[in-house]
Amino acid sequence: MSRMDHQRNAIGKPPIVTYNNVEKCYGDFTALNGVTAEVNRGEVVCLIGPSGSGKSTLLRCTNALEQINGGEIIFDGAPLPKGENNVRLVRRRMGMVFQSFELFPHMTAIENINCAPVTVLGMPKREAEELSYSLLKKVGLVEKAHSYPSMLSGGQQQRIAIARALAMGPEVMLFDEPTSALDPETVGEVLSVMSDLAGEGMTMIVVTHEMSFARRVSDWIMVFDKGRVIEEGRPDNIFKHPTEGRTKEFLRHVGVEV
Amino acid sequence: MEFDFSPIFENWRYLRDGLLITISLSVLSIIAASILGGAIGLARVYGPRWLAGVLAFYVDSARSIPALVVLIWMYFAFPLMVGISLPPFWAAFIALSAYIAAYISEIVRGGVLSIRSGQTRAAKALGMSQNQTILKIILPQAVVRILPQYGNMLSITVKNSAICSVIAVPDYLQNSGIVAAQTYRPLEIYTVALIVYIAMILPLTRSTDWLYSRLSHLGRS
Repeated sequence: MSRMDHQRNAIGKPPIVTYNNVEKCYGDFTALNGVTAEVNRGEVVCLIGPSGSGKSTLLRCTNALEQINGGEIIFDGAPLPKGENNVRLVRRRMGMVFQSFELFPHMTAIENINCAPVTVLGMPKREAEELSYSLLKKVGLVEKAHSYPSMLSGGQQQRIAIARALAMGPEVMLFDEPTSALDPETVGEVLSVMSDLAGEGMTMIVVTHEMSFARRVSDWIMVFDKGRVIEEGRPDNIFKHPTEGRTKEFLRHVGVEV
Repeated sequence: MEFDFSPIFENWRYLRDGLLITISLSVLSIIAASILGGAIGLARVYGPRWLAGVLAFYVDSARSIPALVVLIWMYFAFPLMVGISLPPFWAAFIALSAYIAAYISEIVRGGVLSIRSGQTRAAKALGMSQNQTILKIILPQAVVRILPQYGNMLSITVKNSAICSVIAVPDYLQNSGIVAAQTYRPLEIYTVALIVYIAMILPLTRSTDWLYSRLSHLGRS
């Protein structure tokens, strides 16, 4: 651990999310079994590991969509607040992108994007629309502004979903397997939007099975197994010199030569 | 057998008045039942557990009692309990609304529950409150999804409005009966009544189906 911590500190950015011994249970099933980890400002952190190892659960706990049963999560220096109203103030500062997009089907692309700024932040409609257009431009879908989600491909829907999350001006973006539900030919366009975002310095926590993306774009990798972080480090270290047997096993399983 | 439709033409004003009563009773009842049923359906999904329990009891009871029995109780029994007698039209309105509301609440509840939880998660993740999520995200989709069943309820409401004739509300059926009795032409008058009910209800169900076919993509999350 000390070796990896040393390398990471060289990045020299303050933590924005800290997980202290986080525990989460669903009935008898322990989804998170004492996760301790840090995400620094401006970092792209990829969470990898087998299905059911707790990656997505950790993400949902990060913006309090799920309540933790033990430990604490610290966001920007303060523990996640209790109570729905206080939690909402924190959620606005985090964007989330879901595996199944979850665009609102009764709204056009641009309405999906400006809905939260108008509803939650009380942004004037005109200002929200300008913002939405700039975000549509960013994800390359200006021409789809007035299309309903049902008329868009999976890749296009996910790019709109990213724009929708960005519209709230988040300080950290949470990606929950953003390409797992996509046709292979549309995965690339979503990953490229995410790479651009990373290039702009957005803090990103990404649960992914796209190993080449994790390797290429992330600053830090956390390997999950059975509700714990079993290994973490710079991508090169994790992919070339994993120390844990189960990390090697997982990487081999997803087709990475170790 | 000879047909003689002249009593209908001779009494058309009287029958028209009955038709207007049928229509106003149906429209008022469906509006009240939609508001009440919508509120009950939402309260059962999102409300506190004790309230959901009370409302479940109401819905189950209302669905177990024939509409006619509800109406008769409302007209003959309820006034004894509260000490004020209700005009027949308003007794029918309350009974019909309470009866239809129970069914609408179940349709609304089913519609809301059919919206997958990811939509709520997405709205919450954007910082929306529970009320904003319900109003802006869940309800609009649920409303689209329940359109076909709601169309059913429209037709059931209009049809059930005819039972108000047992407490002498001068609706279309009641007035048809009076004209039939006076003119000895029940065959013509009641056959026309069948056609009038079809003419009222068919456009309702057809247009909600048409609306649904146009809008269904808006409810497909």
